[in-house]
Amino acid sequence: MTRTADDDHRNDHDPILELHAVSKSYGDVTALSGVDLSVAPGTIHALVGPNGSGKTTLFRIALGLTRPSSGTVDAPVEGIGPGFQRANFYRDLTVAENLDVFAALTGAEDEAWREEICSTLRLDRVRDRRAGDLSGGFGKKLDLALALLNRSPVVCLDEPMGDLDDVSKANLLDLLADYRDEGHAVVVSTHHLGAFADVIDHLTVLHDGEVLLDDPRGAIDLGDHDSLQDLYVARSLAADRGSTGDT
Amino acid sequence: MDIPSLLRKEALWSRHRLVTLLFLLLILPAFFAATTAAFGTVIPEDAPVGVVAENESVTEDEIALVEGGLTLFAEPRVYENASTARRALHREQVYAVLEVPPGLYDEGARNATFTLIVDGSMVPFEQPSKAIQGIAGGYLDREFDADVTVRREVVGGTHSLSEYLLPVFLLGIVMLFAFTYLPYNLARERDVLDRLLVESSLDAVVATKIGYFAVLMLIPTVAFGAAAASLNYSVTLFVPGAIAVLLLTFVYLAAISTSIMILTNFDTVGRFLNVAVLLAAITFSNLVYPVGFFSSVRREIARLVPLHYSMIVTRSLTLKDTSPALYGDYVLGLVGFTVVTLLVLKLSIERYKRTI
Repeated sequence: MTRTADDDHRNDHDPILELHAVSKSYGDVTALSGVDLSVAPGTIHALVGPNGSGKTTLFRIALGLTRPSSGTVDAPVEGIGPGFQRANFYRDLTVAENLDVFAALTGAEDEAWREEICSTLRLDRVRDRRAGDLSGGFGKKLDLALALLNRSPVVCLDEPMGDLDDVSKANLLDLLADYRDEGHAVVVSTHHLGAFADVIDHLTVLHDGEVLLDDPRGAIDLGDHDSLQDLYVARSLAADRGSTGDT
Repeated sequence: MDIPSLLRKEALWSRHRLVTLLFLLLILPAFFAATTAAFGTVIPEDAPVGVVAENESVTEDEIALVEGGLTLFAEPRVYENASTARRALHREQVYAVLEVPPGLYDEGARNATFTLIVDGSMVPFEQPSKAIQGIAGGYLDREFDADVTVRREVVGGTHSLSEYLLPVFLLGIVMLFAFTYLPYNLARERDVLDRLLVESSLDAVVATKIGYFAVLMLIPTVAFGAAAASLNYSVTLFVPGAIAVLLLTFVYLAAISTSIMILTNFDTVGRFLNVAVLLAAITFSNLVYPVGFFSSVRREIARLVPLHYSMIVTRSLTLKDTSPALYGDYVLGLVGFTVVTLLVLKLSIERYKRTI
């Protein structure tokens, strides 16, 4: 459910995106089971989990693309900037035309911001190229640019690092950190937790459709582990062993 | 990779496309094979022909005798007066009207002249109407004592087959666009559908697309009009009523093809289904030849197909100097059908939203 304008009396520190007890089943298969997710403004919120843990389903529910079997979604009335795992744009249009179309569609009028995104993601050089002819990396960059175009209060990016070269990854991290510092929320679903380790503010780990860990970065105790990545892998493996009865 | 391996790959691929292949290779051929039965008659052995008294002196017995005779080579329909008979002629309910003169049973009646009225715009019926004139003349001459002649009168301007085909082909272009290009365009939209659903709505995307392409349909109208003008054809394509019906036709065809695409999740099978619907529509709406040329079964089917009426109105308003009001009920029916197809489209969009 999208928050209405009348309901939108949140404080600066209130969550900008909330999912309450969200479950989703496809026939006998349970993709998500009673998941709560709370995303605060001015944070980068990482969502990690093994393949099939329910990350993409959770994303699609947050974006309103998939209806939950139960539970509610409280999304900002201004909408969410969507970044997709599989690049989503008009392949028959050029990069510039795609940006024009979606800028007009979302009411994104900030030309300077648009230029900044294109420059940071180095999309300038392919501006007049047909989007369908772009390499995987540039396709991902265009998808990211379209997600950020409208400066939505929250952007949800599914595997934003996919297909990007190391330089572009660094540029993207800077861009997302700046975006966060302006007070926006960034939700990233990723398999590359290590790449985001320095910028994330909150970590949610999903496993078999359930929340395994959901803490602000500062509250996470690494214990014997060297990194967030190690912690996540260890927790997931432990959960695997628990679910199979393997000790 | 050797041939058996490649063949195995093809077989595996086919297994994943079983529904599409079954449709194309089994259901569609069976459907078309079955429909050949409907082509029983392509010569107008029972074309609808109106029978009307020339004036009030004509008796019911005379009309009944003429009607009975016409059943041998046509499907007679008796009308109360000349104006209703002409109305039926212009609306393609009948393809000729036989006016019966008075005094056929009068003692000493020597000459009787029947008038077979045909519409000059119904080009494919020109030769058959001459045949009917000859056959009717022979039959009626044998039935009545008087010397019977049948005079053939052409109302409205006469047209060439080329002129007659112009509105037919124009409607054909509209159908082709609605059932091939529009589904192709919608399938391409699948690449960006998730983003569109977040940033906009499927309702808005579909409504904009249909509206935009409907306006594009004016381009072939202009092209056909320019061709007609350069060839000195006696066809007026830029008639507001005809253009309105053409656009209305595109809207309901587009609503059907878009519903099919949405219900098939924008998949290739939807595009095949649309081509099948296009072929069926061409077959059963009798766009080129008047329905009177075909079997009674096909005639009844054609009269149930909205495209049949779109064609009659478009053809009539572009070829004849008739008032659009003459086709008011046809247009009203087309508007009603358009509303129904748009409702079906809306329901298919709602279903799509529920299933994603």
